[in-house]
Amino acid sequence: MPIYKKDFNESEKARSSLIGFVFFLISVIALYVPDPSQDHVASLLRGTVLRPFVLVQEGLVRRSIHARDTEVLQGRLDSLEAVITNRNTLSEENGRLRRLLELSEKNPDQYVAASVIRSGSPGSASMFGVDVGTRDGVERDSPVIMGRGLLGVVRESQATNATAMDWTHPQFWASAMTADGSIYGFVQATPGRFREADRLLLDGIPFHQELERGVVVVTSGLGGVYPRGIQIGVVIEESGAQEGWVRSYWLRPFVSPGEATQVLVLVPRGEQPADTASLSGGGAAVQGRVQATGAISLGASDAESRTPR
Amino acid sequence: MKSPLRVWGVVGVLVLLHFGLHLSLGLGESAPDLLVVALLIAAREGNVGRGAGLGFLLGLLDDAFSVLAFGANTFAMTVVGMGGSRTRDLFVGDSLFFLASYLFLGKWMRDLLHWVAAGEGLRESFGDTMLIQAPISAVYAGLVGLVLIAISGLGWETVR
Repeated sequence: MPIYKKDFNESEKARSSLIGFVFFLISVIALYVPDPSQDHVASLLRGTVLRPFVLVQEGLVRRSIHARDTEVLQGRLDSLEAVITNRNTLSEENGRLRRLLELSEKNPDQYVAASVIRSGSPGSASMFGVDVGTRDGVERDSPVIMGRGLLGVVRESQATNATAMDWTHPQFWASAMTADGSIYGFVQATPGRFREADRLLLDGIPFHQELERGVVVVTSGLGGVYPRGIQIGVVIEESGAQEGWVRSYWLRPFVSPGEATQVLVLVPRGEQPADTASLSGGGAAVQGRVQATGAISLGASDAESRTPR
Repeated sequence: MKSPLRVWGVVGVLVLLHFGLHLSLGLGESAPDLLVVALLIAAREGNVGRGAGLGFLLGLLDDAFSVLAFGANTFAMTVVGMGGSRTRDLFVGDSLFFLASYLFLGKWMRDLLHWVAAGEGLRESFGDTMLIQAPISAVYAGLVGLVLIAISGLGWETVR
């Protein structure tokens, strides 16, 4: 026997069929309702019963669009940041180059501009590379200057690059004198308890000569490594350590090695690097490798050989 | 245990799910036609009048976004609702095969009625629509409907 059982009586069934037929009739009529009326009904449904679903869809679409916009805007922001960052670097580089140009005018030996490269590897403290080498006229013991003063000296030179040490290196030293040329001595690095505490010590000053605080110390040209007149630092105070009949003074260097990004490397006279562009006075355009040339003598002989410590 | 409350609850959820998938998420044809599944389930629980009324309402909602063929869904769903209710008198069974066939044929019939009511200017060829697209759509809706019925706890007793 089938499990089917009759749920409705005949009258209910007839009424139900009638209701069904009415709905069927209305649905057929709906097919032929004029378009404006159809649109009215449709819009009414969209604005009431189906409104939550439409709102969700609008929200999702808006979020999707915003997500895409965010990606596009993020890309544009990244591009702008890159441009701004590069511009900052260029501005900084431009400023440094301008300062170097001014310095090169004051020190009219031949210089080549170089970028500083630091390896950052352990044990490379006080050492740095420059992207110029023997092809540019850079040799061992070529002085490296930056901004207002002496940064270091080239230790080793290859064809297209060179390795140099800055003034914090324990082996760094330079013949020095007061800016007026009245008192001579030599400058050497004195390591501190940490790298930032490294200082320069002006030593070998005759006991009978005293230096005041703030006296500017420059290279003397003695020893043949550094041309005369490159600024090294200013006297801070007298050092407590005295040996014999000499005095020593602490100096505050003019340049900080950590700031070095663009430097000038002095090349021997007569060297004419093939790939360098000439540099004229202030305001001149700089193209390619910068080379500073000049005719003003430093006023002191640098023919003497370097004196061992 | 199947109860009228549970049946109508499942039908309501299916209706919400249908519009959520088709309208809110904009899945379109990727989502199954849960509206006809809901109608077919509900139609077996009531008489012809209820089936027709529910089909009419659901079809009208479906037509709210049908600009050019307004009324076609209403007509199709009304007829399917009436037919689903009439199966109470014509077919008896609660087997998986019967339910699958019921859902498949109900969906296919709905598409056929819509194709007829949509008019010549809007419908595609009968072969493409009714012999390729509609069977696939019907199988999809039938499978999803069976799974939903099983998950919802209605079981095969939905068909009394």
